Amino acid sequence: MKAWKWFEGSRVGRSVFRVGIPRSNLERAQAMVSSFLLHVQPAKVNRRTLRPATTLGLGLISLYLLGILTVTGILLMFYYVPATDRAYDAMKDLQYVVSAGLVIRNMHRWAAHLMVLFVMLHLCRVFYTGAYKRPREFNWLVGIALFLLTLGLSFTGYLLPWDQLAFWAITVGANIAAYAPVVGPELKFLILGGNSVGQEALIRFYTLHVIVLPALMAFMVSVHLWRVRKDGGLARPEEGADRLERIDVEHLPTNKSYGLMELTRSTSLQVGKNPEDEVFSWPHLVFREMLLLLAVIAVVLFLAVFWNAPLEEVANAIHPPNPAKAPWYFLGLQELVSYSAFWGGVVAPAVLVTALVMLPYLDRQAVGAGRWFARERRLANTVFTIFLIIAVVLTVIGSVFRGPNWGWVKPWAQPPAVTEGH
Amino acid sequence: MTPQQPPSDSTSRRSFVQLAIGWSVAALAAAASSGAAVRFLVPNVLYEPSLRFKAGKPDDFPDGSVTFLEDERVFIVRQGNTYRCLSAVCTHLGCTVGRSELGFHCPCHGSSFDEQGKVKGGPAPRALEWFMVTLSKDRHLLVDKNERVDAEKYLVL
Ligand code: HEM
Ligand code: FES
Repeated sequence: MKAWKWFEGSRVGRSVFRVGIPRSNLERAQAMVSSFLLHVQPAKVNRRTLRPATTLGLGLISLYLLGILTVTGILLMFYYVPATDRAYDAMKDLQYVVSAGLVIRNMHRWAAHLMVLFVMLHLCRVFYTGAYKRPREFNWLVGIALFLLTLGLSFTGYLLPWDQLAFWAITVGANIAAYAPVVGPELKFLILGGNSVGQEALIRFYTLHVIVLPALMAFMVSVHLWRVRKDGGLARPEEGADRLERIDVEHLPTNKSYGLMELTRSTSLQVGKNPEDEVFSWPHLVFREMLLLLAVIAVVLFLAVFWNAPLEEVANAIHPPNPAKAPWYFLGLQELVSYSAFWGGVVAPAVLVTALVMLPYLDRQAVGAGRWFARERRLANTVFTIFLIIAVVLTVIGSVFRGPNWGWVKPWAQPPAVTEGH
Repeated sequence: MTPQQPPSDSTSRRSFVQLAIGWSVAALAAAASSGAAVRFLVPNVLYEPSLRFKAGKPDDFPDGSVTFLEDERVFIVRQGNTYRCLSAVCTHLGCTVGRSELGFHCPCHGSSFDEQGKVKGGPAPRALEWFMVTLSKDRHLLVDKNERVDAEKYLVL
């Protein structure tokens, strides 16, 4: 502690930390503004922001998982070789030869699954709190791009181990794309860089997975967080941004020079905010965020230490496993595809994404933003919940109730003897 | 300083033309470069097994046999002096089908096909494909997977 105090006061220490550990309110504000990492957030936040129930921290958890994925992913890149004759061996090396390789691979895999899950949960949170309403429509769109990028990253990463699971999941996934109207077959050819999953597909997925999609993701996440700030922080119930809508311009006090400025949405003016509700971000917000980060790392580490990421036999183009399943987040789609490839594989996802994109422009009434399950939004909430239940049920069916030949199995019964097709 | 003139017709027309030219050039450049980038991603050379390949000598396939060729993922079907080639790629989601009592069976999601490749059950939307078989100059069976034919089309030797 003494050494730190000395360092903080030294020339070097001050040049790095400027404010040091804040001791006054002024310094608390300065700490937020003068640090690159912290200035993304305002110096003061609404009390509601700190309440776990406001966001359940789901967006933040997604962000942390993305961070874990970036770090572990870069480490994996030091050993991984995107060649069909070496990729699988590289995975085996990571598991059995490289120091800490097993845990790092496990962390990467479990964090990836968790991220898909938490991004979905975050999407649901934003929906059920009506947080996509004006002025946050655009950030909802950015969010959908992030959702699709998350799926894209998971999907491209899935192929890289080049085991049976990877090979056939990608074969099945790419063939779902081939059902797209007009350009389907060409699209599949472009994705795979050929007619079947092979070396060309592997290098394509690798390039997408390690640079193209992460770069897009980094950019979009920056836009996303910047927008949260620009939209005036988290959505709050009526007394916040919504009140602006209801101000009758004619009744604005004209004797005040800032009368019109009150209408701006800029974050510099504390419009519609009650100063009593505001607390300093440092330490209240930052502390909670760091605590959550620790918790996320702890959970991922825990999973990674006790459960190994699956690695099946090396990819074999002649013997598909029975059943061949896509990654879990596509199993709802695959279940639909098993009834009708076109309706399930093309129409359903297209309609779903279109509906999500149009949502904030269709549902324009301002009430209910910032509150969970607002009564005024009963219709919207019901419709969304029905779709959600359908999606969950389909995914659960595809994941655990489908066995060999895509036939029904009871997951609690003895696993049936798998009969190979050959 | 002369007072600012309101833009006359001719100057606003000029700026419109300038804008139009500027934007057209930009749009053209953008279209051309994205077109080139997409075209770049469509491979011209494939290192996978050729879609046109020699399957072997006619006599390699006994009468009445259905032979699976692993690398090409096809069956060569011989009946008497007729030869045909059936795709082993399931029309559902691209798994490799195998032989069954009925004809063919896909292990992935349980589609089944009869001897003619017609769908008999499961999620497959279309029949298995038949490919053109011809005889090469050195009397090998020559299969062309680019060319799809009816199930009734045989190579008769
Ligand atoms: C890579 C994935 C994503 C990351 C890292 C991310 C991150 C975040 C973070 C940190 C917040 C601050 C509040 C919170 O923690 O909940 C936030 C808010 C928000 N997110 Fe996301 N997000 C992602 C995906 C999405 C998706 C899929 C959507 C919806 C389609 C979405 C829509 C929104 C909206 C509208 C807000 C503002 C909510 C409010 O004001 O209450 N985000 N996001
Ligand atoms: S791929 Fe053959 S049944 Fe699905």
